[in-house]
Amino acid sequence: MNKLIDLCADALDRTKQKGAGEVEVYGESMRTITVAIEKNDLQVSRAQKETMIGVRAFSEKRVGFASTNDPTAIDEMCADAVILAKASPTDENNVLPCREVSDYVSGIYDPAAQDFRIEDAIEQAVRMLDIARSMDKRLILGNGEFSVHIGTRALVNSNGISSEESESLFVYYALATARDGDEVSNMDYQFDATRRAEAIDVEPITRRACENALGSLGAKKGISFNGQVILSPNAAQSLFASLILFQANAKNVLRGMSRWKDALGSTVASDLITVVDDGRLPNGVGTASFDREGVPHKRLELITSGRLMSFMHNTYTAMALGMENTGHAAGSARSVPGIGPSNFEILPGERSKGELIAEIDQGVLVTRFSGRADPVSGDFSGVAKGGYLIENGRISRPIRGTLIAGNAFEALKSLSGVSSERERVFSLTLPYLRLEGISITAG
Amino acid sequence: MLQLLQGISARASGWVELRYHVRRSKRISVRNGRLEESSTLRLAGVGVRALVDGVFGFASTTDLSERGISQAVSEAQGAARTSAGAKREKIASLPKVALACGEYSVQTDDPLDDHSLTEKLALVMRIDERVRSASKAIVSSSVAYSELQDEKVIVTTDGAAAHIIDAKPDFRVLAVAQQDGDQAMGMDSAGVSGGYADLFAERAPEEMADKAVRLAVDQLRAEYAAGEVATVILDPGLVGVLSHEAIGHTVEADLVRGGAITSGKIGTSVASDLVTLCDSGPSTFIPYAAGELLVDDEGVKTGRTVIIDHGILRSYLHSRESAAHFGVEPTGNARAFEYSDEPIIRMRNTYIEPGTSSVEEIIASVKRGYYLQGLGGGGQADSNAEFMFGVREAHEIVDGKIGKMVRGVTISGNAFEVLKSVDAVGNDFAWGLGAGHCGKGQLAKVDAGGPHLRCIVTIGGRQE
Repeated sequence: MNKLIDLCADALDRTKQKGAGEVEVYGESMRTITVAIEKNDLQVSRAQKETMIGVRAFSEKRVGFASTNDPTAIDEMCADAVILAKASPTDENNVLPCREVSDYVSGIYDPAAQDFRIEDAIEQAVRMLDIARSMDKRLILGNGEFSVHIGTRALVNSNGISSEESESLFVYYALATARDGDEVSNMDYQFDATRRAEAIDVEPITRRACENALGSLGAKKGISFNGQVILSPNAAQSLFASLILFQANAKNVLRGMSRWKDALGSTVASDLITVVDDGRLPNGVGTASFDREGVPHKRLELITSGRLMSFMHNTYTAMALGMENTGHAAGSARSVPGIGPSNFEILPGERSKGELIAEIDQGVLVTRFSGRADPVSGDFSGVAKGGYLIENGRISRPIRGTLIAGNAFEALKSLSGVSSERERVFSLTLPYLRLEGISITAG
Repeated sequence: MLQLLQGISARASGWVELRYHVRRSKRISVRNGRLEESSTLRLAGVGVRALVDGVFGFASTTDLSERGISQAVSEAQGAARTSAGAKREKIASLPKVALACGEYSVQTDDPLDDHSLTEKLALVMRIDERVRSASKAIVSSSVAYSELQDEKVIVTTDGAAAHIIDAKPDFRVLAVAQQDGDQAMGMDSAGVSGGYADLFAERAPEEMADKAVRLAVDQLRAEYAAGEVATVILDPGLVGVLSHEAIGHTVEADLVRGGAITSGKIGTSVASDLVTLCDSGPSTFIPYAAGELLVDDEGVKTGRTVIIDHGILRSYLHSRESAAHFGVEPTGNARAFEYSDEPIIRMRNTYIEPGTSSVEEIIASVKRGYYLQGLGGGGQADSNAEFMFGVREAHEIVDGKIGKMVRGVTISGNAFEVLKSVDAVGNDFAWGLGAGHCGKGQLAKVDAGGPHLRCIVTIGGRQE
């Protein structure tokens, strides 16, 4: 019994035998190779392999969960889940999803990944180090990683869902700083990933991180004013993506913590903003045919031209709020399903980043935001890392220690530009954004 | 398992470290009467580290057969060998040190397994109910119990052969009170290395619920503190937070090499001569410290490491690798959270040693200041020892007497400056950081504490 889905089906039967009414079993089998970079040198390289099974047992609307990576402990796991279910309080919303017919996505598994060895991964990491060394002696790759993930996910439940699929993913990122005498530049961070071995290219992100670090050398004090800010995709992630994900998470709606709990159909952002979460995006980092509960992934518009169209649901929240399940159950086989995005994107605008900058008389470009952004109040304040002053429509000079502050809910509504260029930040794909009326303070 | 690992180790070429680790963990959490999680997790596997040509390689496997573990050894060696060609910095050799052999077990009269899942779940539900019914002002509650039970076998080719049994339960209560649109939070928690009764030896769960409620409700009535530089008395909980977060991380040898503020300062005065700060594997003064570690994950027997001795910086915290680099003895601080993690430098139980003053005496000696208790609302500290912590409970001290409660207090400063300002150290002792985890890429159970002490910090006042 080597196939993951058969292991899951067996655990389902055993859990039923131990007295569960409904049962869900989720399995993940993953092989990982990680080569880490630290301070311009290779760090310890790692090879890992694990199969994890998690079972949710239901008994009269009560639920218990147990998981293990130990094939000799499956029986104990099934028994634990049933014991916990029977000791738990009932909750009417404890139900499992039913089977829906849907196609499997293609392109998330590359058989060539199986032949990828640790030597190949080390070669890629060394390439990143070599690129940085050849660009400029002042550069330091303070941190970085090249990793390979090859795995299979399987889900079976007592409502007839039975799905399995394999995937491969190559992930690489670089954190670069530049040191010139006593001066240390801003740290810049860049990330990319691909599903296919032949599409691996560590050069663009390594170069971009290094160029940004070098570009911020010589940064001097900025100026204080209230005005326009261009956010890089990295900074947009810190300030807006996490804010939108928090408000759109149905769990936070249910807890009464989402500011948008009563805002479905109303305007929450500038009409330039359309936010999509597409679990079937070709070559997406978060692409998969089905979610953590076996519900098919689909393309969902969370915000269409500024209007809030949907929350992200799993079965529990959809039931509790009387809304449609959107297939956003997320998490590993180690824990009960939570809620999370798959491939979150802000759709590109029509104008280039250069055009957005060209209209600014006085502004600041922020490549990274370091500070506080409160998801409940929307208030943010922090340091514009890798900041540049924009004067008369062009980037004039790097600035340091500049503070930006404002309210993200308001900034999202009043923003005046979305670039046509986009970059990948983990599983998010984001454009450059132009904000209005931000308080900018020279530090 | 010990024989199996020793057999594999005997046949391995070069230096190899094998760590078998089975973890059984349980988590139960309830929020507002609704069960958020009740789960068990069993993780079993072997983590292998190999040293080839002066470079480490790491592999982990869940295949616990001789073939499966031997394959992981080959993978770790292969990873090391391949990296060695490209890696610049090499390890000359690992320092010789007394490696652990034999049995090491957590001591308790009341093992966690003597209490059923049903009993633990019922306790969490009952305490959550108690919080919500304690006062009309309580609008939200959250109670959680979790436990880790570990069995490890550590074998190295240079002589470690240890079998380790450990158990670490913890319990947390949170209450939110509301009145006229104003909200305040109260919390209490406990965590130990030991059994079920040991977890509640200090305070029964009901007392923890009542304390969380009282803190939440009382704060609604309290005024916000004003910002100022003030004389304060820190309780053992805050002394622990300061020792761990703001001082401890800056003496982790890997961070020292990364440029932490303590770099190059061994032998120099960094604190008041009343301050002796240690990090200990075994519990000291009071048993059941949550960070108890008898043998570290490199098989090094732990002891008490004196970091600051009467104000003088004496030692960093080391793994075998960093000890080799600095030319000192390893301190037994290499820890791995799960079988698939490689050992890195972590703290255990970090504390300031008790002094000679009675707590009453110290309070009575303050003309104007604050009595501050416990960490609340989070905080942060950097490798330059700059910190900012939220305080859970704060009272004014006026003319040597504890006065009214104030809310919204944060403390900040440079931790070494604060330690230089220490002018009285209590003769009491308590652990105070047992619940929760320390994060550094991977998690670790740690504890921290000390006596009460008097010092000067910057008080942050009202924060919206």
